[in-house]
Amino acid sequence: MTPAIASKRTGVSMLSRLVELLRGRALLIPVLMLAAFAAMAGEALAHAVAEGDKGYIQEITGVHLVSFLYLGAKHMVTGYDHILFLLGVIFFLYRLKNIATYVSLFAIGHSTTMLAGVYFGVGINSYVIDAIIGLSVVYKALDNMGAYQRWFGFQPNTKAATLIFGLFHGMGLASKIIDYQIAEDGLLPNLLAFNVGVEIGQLLALGAILLVMGFWRRTPGFMRQAYTANMLLMAAGFVLIGYQITGLIVF
Amino acid sequence: MYNAKMPNKDDLPSTAQLIRSTGVALAVAVVILFGAVLPAEYGVDPTRIGRLLGLTQMGEIKQQLAEEAAEEDLAAVPDLVEPEVAAPPPIVAASEETATAEPPTDEVEAVVDAEAVWIDEVSITLAPDAAAEVKLVMTEGASAEYEWSVDDGNLNYELHADYPDGDGFHSYKKARGVTGDIGEFTAAFDGAHGWYWRNRSGKDVTVTLRVRGDYSEVKRMM
Repeated sequence: MTPAIASKRTGVSMLSRLVELLRGRALLIPVLMLAAFAAMAGEALAHAVAEGDKGYIQEITGVHLVSFLYLGAKHMVTGYDHILFLLGVIFFLYRLKNIATYVSLFAIGHSTTMLAGVYFGVGINSYVIDAIIGLSVVYKALDNMGAYQRWFGFQPNTKAATLIFGLFHGMGLASKIIDYQIAEDGLLPNLLAFNVGVEIGQLLALGAILLVMGFWRRTPGFMRQAYTANMLLMAAGFVLIGYQITGLIVF
Repeated sequence: MYNAKMPNKDDLPSTAQLIRSTGVALAVAVVILFGAVLPAEYGVDPTRIGRLLGLTQMGEIKQQLAEEAAEEDLAAVPDLVEPEVAAPPPIVAASEETATAEPPTDEVEAVVDAEAVWIDEVSITLAPDAAAEVKLVMTEGASAEYEWSVDDGNLNYELHADYPDGDGFHSYKKARGVTGDIGEFTAAFDGAHGWYWRNRSGKDVTVTLRVRGDYSEVKRMM
């Protein structure tokens, strides 16, 4: 093969790869935005009646362990910002031991601030905290892409980052739960049940993620596609940040 | 990404393991769907597990709230009440004020109790999960005293008033699972101010409200 032909073939394949990348990315941003808005289905406040989970919680008093366990699990499974961060964390973790370690660090982080925040009634502006959670997704995606080593020549401790961002995720959870107005009567047992539920929801989501990753990681294209995937993850993080900051300004 | 390690095939689950895991995941999903999600969201409970866990009750409450919200949206906007600036009703026991509450088929009575110096009394029986609302038509700055109690069980309540522009409401006081309340409040604006009660105690509850003060009418709203 003469060098001229070789370079021409390389040029074509690079172009088609770029087109492929752009096509994938172009579709994803509007899809993510749609998902973000759809997920903001919130509660419809008609007259004095709140609906859904919030409505239910405001109607009851006393200890309801299974109900709060369910609500915690639901909260985590539908909390796409928490799931995205989790995805980023385990992206390049292959051994179960490592996965368990990092997930536990995340769990310790978010449990601590969630329980403390709700029990002591410390609520932080949910737009600010959700923007920080969006930032955590961006941070992890960049970390996965090797950005910090490239830019700063230094790899920030991934375990510490997971724990610290976990604390922020917990603050986000707390601000949502405070909004639910759980009755004082039975608050602590209900809250603990909710926390257990959050962890169960986390494990369910993790299971689904690892299943997909398991298939994907066996394919030869994984390492190459992983870069694009993390880029999309970062884009999703930016959408989250933008969405929350807009909410902060507008409301 | 030069810092990410290529997965070692030995660290990864085999294809057979993955397929088996997918099957297990699907089975778990079905169990969770029928045992938890359908009961807790819709009150649909084919396996009866949901009721055992208390999740079906959650779904039933959510469905009820959703129906009530839909009805509220469909209902006509309640007339914005313009209270007349008439002479305030006398607070002395000997008055013959009658409450002008719309009497539906159940027990809304208007009674003057000479000894207790209350002007109006309303009595409502709430079945489990039912709600009722009684309000006083007042002008801004007017005040009213009240006491209400239940014969059995307990009620959730909120003492509130809808804003005149129809956008939201002002809450004076609220609580859950209580057997009564005594107090006084001052109307924050012209309108109808009063109590929304909800019975979540699982048995029939009869609530008796007694009021006196600066109002022109006692209305049963729902």
